Amino acid sequence: MPDWQERVTRESEPAIRVEHELRYAMAAPIIAGATLWCDLGCGSGVAAADALGRGQHPARTVLVDVAEDALAQAARELRHEAVTTVAADLSSAEGVQRVRAELLEHAGDGVRCITCFETIEHLADFVPLVGLLTELAEQHGFTIIASVPNDAFWSLENPHHQGSWGEGAFEELRRLLPSGHVTFAQLPLQGSAVAPTGDVPAEAHSVDVNVDAAGVPSHLLIAFGPETARVAVGAGVVQVDLAERRRWERERESHLQYMECELAKERAEIRKMSAEFADWRKYIHELEEKLGLPLSGTDAAEQAASAQNGAGTDDVTQPLPDQSQST
Amino acid sequence: MKVAFLLNDIQLSGGVGVVVEHARQLQHHHGHESVLVLVREQEDPSWSYRGLTDLRVETMPSARRESFDVAVATWWETAFSLFELDAARYAYFVQSLEDRFYMAEAPERVGASMTLDLPVDFITEARWIAETIEATRPEARVFYVRNGIDKAAFPVLDAPEVRMRERPLHVLVEGYADVWFKGVPEAAWAAGAMKEPHHTTLVVPNRDELPDGLPADEVVGPVPRDEMAALYERSDVVLKMSSVEGMSGPPLEGFHRGATCVVTPVTGFDEYVEHGWNGLVTEWDDPHGTARQLDLLAADRRLLHFLRVNAVETARAWPSWDQSGQFMAAALERIRSLPPPQPSGRRLAADIRAVMEANRRMVVQRNELAAELEPVWRLKTNPHFVRLRRWRHTRLGRWLTWPVRRILRGSLREIRGDSE
Repeated sequence: MPDWQERVTRESEPAIRVEHELRYAMAAPIIAGATLWCDLGCGSGVAAADALGRGQHPARTVLVDVAEDALAQAARELRHEAVTTVAADLSSAEGVQRVRAELLEHAGDGVRCITCFETIEHLADFVPLVGLLTELAEQHGFTIIASVPNDAFWSLENPHHQGSWGEGAFEELRRLLPSGHVTFAQLPLQGSAVAPTGDVPAEAHSVDVNVDAAGVPSHLLIAFGPETARVAVGAGVVQVDLAERRRWERERESHLQYMECELAKERAEIRKMSAEFADWRKYIHELEEKLGLPLSGTDAAEQAASAQNGAGTDDVTQPLPDQSQST
Repeated sequence: MKVAFLLNDIQLSGGVGVVVEHARQLQHHHGHESVLVLVREQEDPSWSYRGLTDLRVETMPSARRESFDVAVATWWETAFSLFELDAARYAYFVQSLEDRFYMAEAPERVGASMTLDLPVDFITEARWIAETIEATRPEARVFYVRNGIDKAAFPVLDAPEVRMRERPLHVLVEGYADVWFKGVPEAAWAAGAMKEPHHTTLVVPNRDELPDGLPADEVVGPVPRDEMAALYERSDVVLKMSSVEGMSGPPLEGFHRGATCVVTPVTGFDEYVEHGWNGLVTEWDDPHGTARQLDLLAADRRLLHFLRVNAVETARAWPSWDQSGQFMAAALERIRSLPPPQPSGRRLAADIRAVMEANRRMVVQRNELAAELEPVWRLKTNPHFVRLRRWRHTRLGRWLTWPVRRILRGSLREIRGDSE
């Protein structure tokens, strides 16, 4: 999925990586030292691993994704002591039921946290998952932090997203969740930095950013459950890797050009075949005229064929012409 | 889950169409059993809604013999029958604050308003309704489920074609002609007041009710969905001048087919209309101002195209019925899993006070009127007047009063309210 970057990898654009990391950083104070942390739709685990870093690990980590390869990578990236992976389709009642059973088995007595970032919009049916999250928060004391993208603002039609998510859909979702929930807006940042050239080590800078919460969010987040007050808000900026960005954009442009060329070639081929087909038909019609037969592919031929079929016995299929004789 | 949706009828109406579609979605995609329960006898055959034949339609007497997981009222009159059904939970799908459909003194207005006091969970299709209910009943649970759009019947255009000034501005006005708050005649007059070349199409399900002399180039209706999609595609602007709406669907359907809109700031318009981005917002009671906005679109085709392009983008981001159905399914699941709601003392008390106040106003008005008429009553009971009235009906009395009666005939008719 190179164009949409739905799964964050170490090669993903830095801005996308920091955006994902920031979400996990929100949950980090709750995850650190929790009895159980579950990441629904964990993907490759790269963003979670970077955000949670060397912090205190939860006693048990449950990673859930529909893709087995992603689960294996996430387990490697996170390097937590007790990791359980569950391959499950969260849009099916059966998949959600398996996750529920796994979570209740490892729930324990301490803090239980679920992160569900950029997952709901991938589900063909999110009803079972919403039911599970509300049940776990209300009846089993789980704290849940979830996010959805604001695709509707740009009218994005992401081929990997089911349905349209944005502020309207988020409001619909919010009203399904237990009272006491807290909502957050994730807002994109842009910036720049000046550094001395030459062989100097990378330097960390603190940046003051005025964040207007009324701005248009790129993502919408919600937290609910007993530990909601511990959700950490913050900001993150990262240096743009212009070389990689240039590669990504040029790749997209060049691939598009290439595909357009391929398409033009295919179209030319179809046109050529159509012309040949028309020639053959013309030749066949000439033969049919000489033999006094109705012209095939015309209404008269269709009517003659159906009359012939109707005249015969109803259940008997007309035999195909013997090709050996015609050749 | 077995869900009953209570309906007054299954006639052609946006609100009924929404309920039928939700019921269909629940049955087809979420494994629920949806039953449409008619609370009164139908006088006319049902409108042929998509998928209606797949749904079970029951009358109240037969539905009373069944048990439901959730029973949902869908119109204020159906709320009175809600608790007659045996259901584990009761909900109310509020598509508008329906008291506003009636004039101030109409008893229906109070009735419609008071149904919002019932101990039920609410599901609404517009944020303004949710916020209004929450403002008056802070303890109420209000779920928000936007109406989906049938993306098969109204597929989103890839890109609207540019329409230059050679083509007159095509304006589409839609709605029931005789429903006062739909503003159909007002919209037709506004379009008719345009100075730029234009073509107005009125889509009216009840054409017989159209007032005479409305300016329009074309009047059609009732129109099935596929034809409606073609009409929208032909149009540049959907003109909607309603004064009461829950969440008006036609401009949004028009967006899908590349038409922008000119609308009044009626409740729910802000669910998808952004002034100067994908449409224009006009004012009520300003047909000339509305005509000038239409003239602007007719003259400035760059602006028209900008609005149409953004209208299509807005449509692209609007949920399908599939997504909307998921939110309805999730809301009903939630209603079933939560304990039943408590009755609202606060709002009920406020409504009782409002009803008492309305009644008090009527009593005061009646007493004032009675005081004004007191001399008349006194005169009428005076023995001399009674004798005089009797005398007037004698042959001599009739003959003597004939010229006066002839002069006053018109005024007396007017007072009695007689028509010619």
